[in-house]
Amino acid sequence: MRIGDAVSTYPSDEAIFRTQTQKVWMGIFIATLLTFPFVSSPYTLFLACLVGIAVISATGLNILVGLTGQISLGHGGFMGVGAYTAVWLADNMGMGLALSMPLAGLLTAAVGVVVGLPSLRVKGLYLAIATMAASVILHFIFVHWEPVTGGNAGINLQNANIFGINLNSDLRMYFVVVPLAIIAVLGERNLLRTRIGRAFIAVRDRDISAEVLGVDLLRYKLMSFGLSSFYAGCAGALWAYFFKVVTPESFPLDTSIFYLAAIIVGGMGTVLGPILGAIFMTLVPEILKILTAVVVPILPNAQVLLSPVRVVVFGALIVGFLLYEPHGMAEMWRRTRRYSHLWPFKT
Amino acid sequence: MKKIFMGLAVVLLTLGLCVSTATAKEDIVFAETALITGVFGFAGGELHEGIVDYFNYTNENGGIRGHKIKHVFEDCGYKVDCSVATFKKLTAEHNPLFYSGDSTGFMKAINPELQATKNTLMSGVSYASELTDETKYPRSFIIGPSYTDQMSILLTYAAKEMPGAKVAIVHSDSGFGRDPIEAGKAKAKELGLDLVEVITTKPGSVDVSTEVLKLRRKKPDYVLFHGYVLTPINEFMQQMKDLGMATKFMGTYWSSSELMYMKAKEVSDGYLGVMHLNYFNMEKSPGKEWDAMRAYNAKVHPDKLTRPNFYMFGWFQGMVWAEVIGRTVDAGKELTVDNLRATLNSIENWDTGGIASVPVTVRNNSIPFGRVFKVNAAEGRYEPVSEVIEIK
Amino acid sequence: MDWLFFFESSIAGLATGAIYSLVALGFVIIYKATRVINFAIGEIMMISAYLFLTFAGILEWHPLIALPLAMLGGGLLGSVTEKLIIRPMLGESPISVVMVTIGLSSILVGAAQIIWGPGPRILPDFLPRAPIFIGELYVSSKIAYSALIAIGLLVCYLIYFRFSRGGVALRATASDQAAAFSMGISVPKVFNYAWFFGSMAAALAGVLVAASGGLSPYSGSMALSILVVVIFGGLDSLTGALVGGLLVGWLETMTGAFLGGEYKMLTIFTLLTFVLVLKPYGLFGTKEIERL
Repeated sequence: MRIGDAVSTYPSDEAIFRTQTQKVWMGIFIATLLTFPFVSSPYTLFLACLVGIAVISATGLNILVGLTGQISLGHGGFMGVGAYTAVWLADNMGMGLALSMPLAGLLTAAVGVVVGLPSLRVKGLYLAIATMAASVILHFIFVHWEPVTGGNAGINLQNANIFGINLNSDLRMYFVVVPLAIIAVLGERNLLRTRIGRAFIAVRDRDISAEVLGVDLLRYKLMSFGLSSFYAGCAGALWAYFFKVVTPESFPLDTSIFYLAAIIVGGMGTVLGPILGAIFMTLVPEILKILTAVVVPILPNAQVLLSPVRVVVFGALIVGFLLYEPHGMAEMWRRTRRYSHLWPFKT
Repeated sequence: MKKIFMGLAVVLLTLGLCVSTATAKEDIVFAETALITGVFGFAGGELHEGIVDYFNYTNENGGIRGHKIKHVFEDCGYKVDCSVATFKKLTAEHNPLFYSGDSTGFMKAINPELQATKNTLMSGVSYASELTDETKYPRSFIIGPSYTDQMSILLTYAAKEMPGAKVAIVHSDSGFGRDPIEAGKAKAKELGLDLVEVITTKPGSVDVSTEVLKLRRKKPDYVLFHGYVLTPINEFMQQMKDLGMATKFMGTYWSSSELMYMKAKEVSDGYLGVMHLNYFNMEKSPGKEWDAMRAYNAKVHPDKLTRPNFYMFGWFQGMVWAEVIGRTVDAGKELTVDNLRATLNSIENWDTGGIASVPVTVRNNSIPFGRVFKVNAAEGRYEPVSEVIEIK
Repeated sequence: MDWLFFFESSIAGLATGAIYSLVALGFVIIYKATRVINFAIGEIMMISAYLFLTFAGILEWHPLIALPLAMLGGGLLGSVTEKLIIRPMLGESPISVVMVTIGLSSILVGAAQIIWGPGPRILPDFLPRAPIFIGELYVSSKIAYSALIAIGLLVCYLIYFRFSRGGVALRATASDQAAAFSMGISVPKVFNYAWFFGSMAAALAGVLVAASGGLSPYSGSMALSILVVVIFGGLDSLTGALVGGLLVGWLETMTGAFLGGEYKMLTIFTLLTFVLVLKPYGLFGTKEIERL
């Protein structure tokens, strides 16, 4: 039971870890992450990398949608820009991931800023569709700018290196992706403590009020688009390093919807939300597959018969979660935590 | 006495060993990413059932040279990351010798890993032209002609039937639809055909009448469709027939299934499809393996009177790999990927007993042969109208 | 310039546009009354088309019975959706509600595959097939009759919402919920009716689209074009839905006719971006005046 925080200074009130217990748990969590790849099967390792990439991308989208309140359906397109750039830089310039990924991120950020320009006038769903327009235009470029993007066939990543180490196994990818995911999340957490982060939230809650208070809307909206796209670009680059091929169909519109779903189901505007959402969206389809496999002894043809049922259940889970807790899984987590803190008293 | 006894024991022991190795030959594992859900579901379910049925049939008949086949699979809704995950899972758990993959995107994404692990051969539902390059895809194989070859076969047929004919190509604006278009244009030129129009349609278009209007002006003798399953081909055919045009319509593998006459009915009459397989419904039996397949079907699925040829594709896929194993065993070689690959490449004029409509010869990492079939809507079947056409 | 081709394409484009308008109308009615952006509208169209297929194709009822039944089915689906999953989300952030409708579309896709199978389907012919010639001008009969039916329903809807009590209630709710409530309008009922009528319009459009475009569990994805239409016209404007539909349909067809199909999406979306920069609430959307 915890009865209160004995916080006496502002910095300690704003600290990322406010109690000793949190630090201990975080230590245990990091230790688990470190040992996980050595005990996991190739399949779970692959999924872990996938989740890691999804966490980075979802965190990026959360900065834009959750913190700044600008709905975007262009996230998949941004990831595509990052992926193509990273592969191009790696293959044609011989760059390693340590250089190609940040550069891909920067280029994507630049694209993001351009796409974000209408956000000054356009809001809500109108903006969502305007960003979707961007992803349609980007897709067109991916297909038709053949010298760079390889056209319909896409491009293969020949030179997947980081500091000269060949990234040819999931284990190595894991140790690239997971630390980057942690950095990405910490980055977002820190952002929340700065003027920029607070400005984002002010813009989200009421942009006119924010402007009156002296928040430069143009600057902060574009900054949010840039940051979010930077994350997306880095996630796309990692995706490309992970799958070693990018085609125009690697990042369809579904990708944007996938990430939007991830942050909403996870809980918008929280640090934990995108993480939980990314895990949920990536793993639930796999878990459902395992569940159908369990039924096989009773119903031999279950994997075939129940396949469409999985699609239904997936949708129903999203609906159910949101009906039960419209603020997402992060809110549920917070409630459980509060309950455990105060147990045996009622919250 | 003691010596005789010892000798007998040795003989018995060797015999016993022989017998035991003969009966308990190791299982051969075949893994599959099934496509039961997702946009490919129209074919995925049947394809999966074809594979399953072929392996059950083979196992019931003693397996391949004594090796039983163990088939494992998982469904993925045609999503690359899910397919790769499934590949990792099934490979780690079962170490399959063969793998049936799915989309072009997956075949590309898995290629580096496939080359690195070196103990699995793969085929899939993708006929992407890029996969014909064996140096780039040494562990993958196209069970049939690539999209480019399919298109070439149709164009060759058209050029033969009507030299210098006017041809129009209609394709969908997707990765699948764009795949063979450039190569197809070049081929048409090479064959002396007059390519009058290339039309791209947006996926999910409501109306095709503008495209029909374009074709009406160009009056092509042949319209070649690629990148569709059924719609909007039926709509094109209907509108152009209603306009009294005498154009002939042709399409590549995925649009050359029974769905064409089953769903589009009399509109589809005369439609030309390219096929390296025979159909489930044929006027007369093309061979004894085909009969066996029909008989097995009648036994196991008495309720299924007809099957789209995605089922045949599944069956044929199993059959090709079984043949490769059989030949490798017969040659006394070990069942390693390199040996199997060599056996596969050496297949020449293999008679499949009526499952394939062409004698199977492996070349360019694929089977670049096909025949042109024509829909007979009244009878409800496809009829072969061309000899075997080979693309070199 | 081949003027005959130009006019022929224009007619085809406008006819397609009429169907777009119909879906957009369904979308706008729901948005206007309830402020919910319904991403599942494509799937409602798809399910209704399957219903029509079941009634007319499998049970072989007359299309004149099957079509209203399919529309009714679509409408009921919308009304049930509103009751079960939209109403509990009242007052939540709009984007959570959007997500709920996306979840719903996944449910409907899976359900369609379970009930009707994954394969592509073609609806039985219920529209006259003979091509229509106006002088030299060719019009595909399917799309022409589809457009006529769509326009018929559009006119009915417009008249209804302009002059009936229900229409007044809808407009009252749209302009001020609290005031409407205090004037004795049952707002929850209006919400439900809006979902019913909106989905019914989408249902008819779904059948018409499937009649020429075919049907599969995934054909609901075409509704993305509809989002463009409503954004063009303005989310909450019935006129906008009409004009936007016709405009997008026409433009798309003309691009296809003169530039090629691969430029369709590009043209539409590029133009859309420009429109939005000039008119952030679409061509006819209500400009929201923000006050502190």
